[in-house]
This record gives sequence, C-alpha cells and structure tokens, in this order.
Amino acid sequence: MTAAPPILEVKGLTKRFPARTGETQSPLILADLSFRVAEQEFLTMVGPSGAGKSTLLNIIAQVDGASDGEIYFRGELIEATNATALNPGWNCQIGYVMQDDNLLPWRTLIDNVTLPLKLQGRYDDAAAARVETLLRATNLTGFERYYPHELSGGMRKRASLIRTLAYDPPIILMDEPFGAVDAQTRGQLQQDLLRLWNHGRKTIIFVTHDIGEAIALGDRVLVLSRSPAKVIAEHRVEIARPRDLGNLYKLDGFGDMFEAVRQQIQ
Amino acid sequence: MSVAVAPPLPRLGAKRQLIPVGRVALGIGVLALWQVGTGIMGAEWLPGPAAVLVRIWQITISGELLRDTAVTFWEAAVGMALGGGAGAILPFLLRLSPRLMSALDPFISAAFGMPKLALAPLFILWFGIGVPAKIVFVASIVFFLMFYNGLAGIMSVDPRLIATLRVAGASEWFVGREIVWNTAKPFLFAGLKIALPRALSGAVVGEFIAADSGLGWYIQNARSLNDTTGVVAGAVIVTVLVIGVNAALKRVQARSLAWRPVARDMTV
Repeated sequence: MTAAPPILEVKGLTKRFPARTGETQSPLILADLSFRVAEQEFLTMVGPSGAGKSTLLNIIAQVDGASDGEIYFRGELIEATNATALNPGWNCQIGYVMQDDNLLPWRTLIDNVTLPLKLQGRYDDAAAARVETLLRATNLTGFERYYPHELSGGMRKRASLIRTLAYDPPIILMDEPFGAVDAQTRGQLQQDLLRLWNHGRKTIIFVTHDIGEAIALGDRVLVLSRSPAKVIAEHRVEIARPRDLGNLYKLDGFGDMFEAVRQQIQ
Repeated sequence: MSVAVAPPLPRLGAKRQLIPVGRVALGIGVLALWQVGTGIMGAEWLPGPAAVLVRIWQITISGELLRDTAVTFWEAAVGMALGGGAGAILPFLLRLSPRLMSALDPFISAAFGMPKLALAPLFILWFGIGVPAKIVFVASIVFFLMFYNGLAGIMSVDPRLIATLRVAGASEWFVGREIVWNTAKPFLFAGLKIALPRALSGAVVGEFIAADSGLGWYIQNARSLNDTTGVVAGAVIVTVLVIGVNAALKRVQARSLAWRPVARDMTV
C-alpha cells in the first residue's frame, strides 16, 4: 500500500445496527473494513449513498462505537467497541467536519470558529493570528460578528471548515462537507480546501459520493461497495499539485479513472 | 478584530412605524365602544371609563391600590419563582436519566390534567386564607406550563451539534451549559409568556375564594356590595399589571435571544 508509516490504520472494522422491532436480522453496515492512511495524505473515499460512509467516519471520530475491529492512531489502539467508553475526537487528535455545518446558531462566526481553541485552552495570540489568516483565506473577513443565520450556505461551510482547521488536529475527517451547496460554490470550496491543505499539509480522510470530487481532491481514492461497506478498489491519483480544478477534467487519465471508478461502484 | 466591511443588515420598512399609530387608534376605538355600551346598558350595569378612572384615582390616594396590588403581585411572583423555577429546572435534571423521565411521565401528565381550581379550597384549608395558599395555587398552575415548555426545548436539542462540540473537546458539562441551555431558552421564554399572566390571574382567582386583601379580594368585595365600578376598576388594574409584566418580559427576551432571526420571534 503506502510506504510512509500510517497515521491511522483501520483493521477489520464491523458495524451492526441494532435490529428494529419486527426484524430478525440486524443490518450489517460495515463488514470487515480495512485500510491505512499515511501521514499528510489526502485520502478520499467514494461509495454509493447509504453505503455506511458516515457510519465509518462516526466510528473513527468515536462519536459512535464499532461492533468489531480495531483502529490504530500512530500505532496506538484507539477503537472502543464499548459505547460508554467512547472518547469523541480522541483528545482533539481527530477533527471532524460533518455534512451539515453544525455552527452554533447563538454564537457569532468568530465565536464559533474560536470555540474549539478556547475549549482546549489554546486560544493565544498565535492561535488568534492563525484564525485571522484562515478567515482571510476563505473570504470571511468582515463577517466575524455575524450570526450563522445571517450568512450564506457557502460561508457557513467555510466557517465550519476553518473551525476545525483552526485547532489543527493531526487528522481531519470530512463527510461530504460540500454536499449541500450549489455546483459553483462547491467548486470554489474545493479549491479553497486544496489551497488550505497545501499551506500546512494535514492528513485528511474525505468521504463523498461524487467520483469527480474524489479524484480531483485526493492523493488516493478508495472505492467502497454498497452496504455492507468494504474497500473494493484503490486508485492512486498522479495529478501534480497544486491542482487547477477548473481544467482537471481535460487532463489525461482523469476520464479513464472516472470511468473505472464508476464501473466499480455499480 | 478587523473592521467590518460587510454592509449593515437592512432595516424593517417604514410601514412598521404605522404600528404605534394603529395601536393608539384601536385603543381609542375600544374606549369609545365601551362608552357606547355604558350609554345603552346604563352606568349601573356597565360603569363608563370615566367613572372607573375616578375610582382608580380614589383608591390610589387612599393607599388601597398599592396594598392590594402588592399582595397580589407578591403571591404571583413567589408562586412563579417556586413553581415556575422548579418546572423549568426539572427537565434539565430529567435529561440525565431518560428512564426516570419515562417513568415519571404518566404521573406528571395526570397531575397536569388535575383541575387546580377544584383543589383551591383544599389549599385554603391546608394553608389558611393568607398569602401561602395563593402561592401554592399559583405554583401548581405555572409549574406545568414551564415544565412542558422546558421539556420541549430539551427534546429539540440537535445531537449533531453535541457530537461536533464533543469531538472538538467539549466536556459533558459544557455541552449541557452551552447547547442544551441555549436550545431550551426560547422555549422557556415561550413558557414565561403564558405562565406570567397565568400566575397573576391565578393569584386573583385564589383571592376570590378566600382572602382578606389583594386585587381578587377587592373585586370580590366590590361584587358583594353590588359595586360594579369597583369590579371593573379591579379588572382594569389586573389587566394593566399583565401588560406591564409582558412588556418587561419582552425586553428581557429581546436582549437574551438577540441571535435569533427576527421573523421567528413574536414581537407583538
């Protein structure tokens, strides 16, 4: 797989949801799922809707417990199959940008973005300067005192993104963060994300059902099967960085890879 | 922090300024209708605005107004603090134990359904005809109004917000203080909007049954003397009291929930 030592390793992860009343079979969401992520790698995972992608990220972030399997963070076993022992975010080592922006509606943009830093007692001058830079990089300067309901959907997405980037966890999970915005805003957000990632390369696990997005952003694309989710294919994306997302579709190999992934998802 | 370059939010239109004018016009209309009613029915049956105003002036000078208002207000305030406070806090405690919540649910529903007015004579029997019986009566009414609104607030907490903050390093205690409290707050204000007037009217009704002071006692006393002017004067004073309490609540709410989209608040 990858030569660099993995920052995260998932081994034989299995998740079974409790059976609903009247059903004898409890639905299997993840079946013996395994993969590794290298330091500073941008890993994208693509799979059909309802494949259990969100469940997988929830388990890695320890918002949800697994039924079986192991997760190692820098060689240390972190996975908890016992739901009461969950440690969400693994001591702020694992950031999580969810599908919805999940900004607190009663806090202004700046208070939302700086909240994790303040919670962790790390909001000092250096952190404030970093927040300032992130705000400028995402064109949010001037809107610090606005409440989320006064901002556009794209601005809320960017705010939710830099809320996690600001406290700088070693791994960031992203669950279709650009799913609920229009195509144009989406393209802009993708470009923003790549630029921010190029600044300080972090490890990102980015989940999407959009094949083009998975190829355009990732170093490596994992293809997930229909539920129960398994890794059924792996593609290394050899497109040089920094990438110009506008012209990506014209590059050699993009179309072939797109078609290959599309076939595998069927 | 840098200087805001974004444009200011648009103000509401000029049509809004017509609202106070309309309110005054409507108020005058109601007074006129009242006067017409007095003319048709006779001042014995429906005393006119002027006579009521004179009566209010008289009891203001004699000190009766202040004494009776203070008694009623005190009963409503203490009943609200005890009953409403307990009702507002209980959902936050029950949140920590869903099993206890579902176990208690039928009992709370039953207690809510029990007609408090039917129990009022018992309260008088237990606590005497003084202030304590009215406090208990008021508390027994407002407790449920605050409890069910608080409960609705806690039920509407967004689990995704909790997950987001937990991942970012928030403790269980911070989640409760930040997310649960802020989500429940608008619901508690909605509860206050109903409970505060009910607390005042509860105190007045309690005084109807047995009392030696208070606005309810004043109205009841006037009624037994066939003093219709006194009855209407008492009713007007209670109404003014409710309006004052509502205005105060609106101010506190506007400051406390400033983050909310304007259209979602009842600004009437």
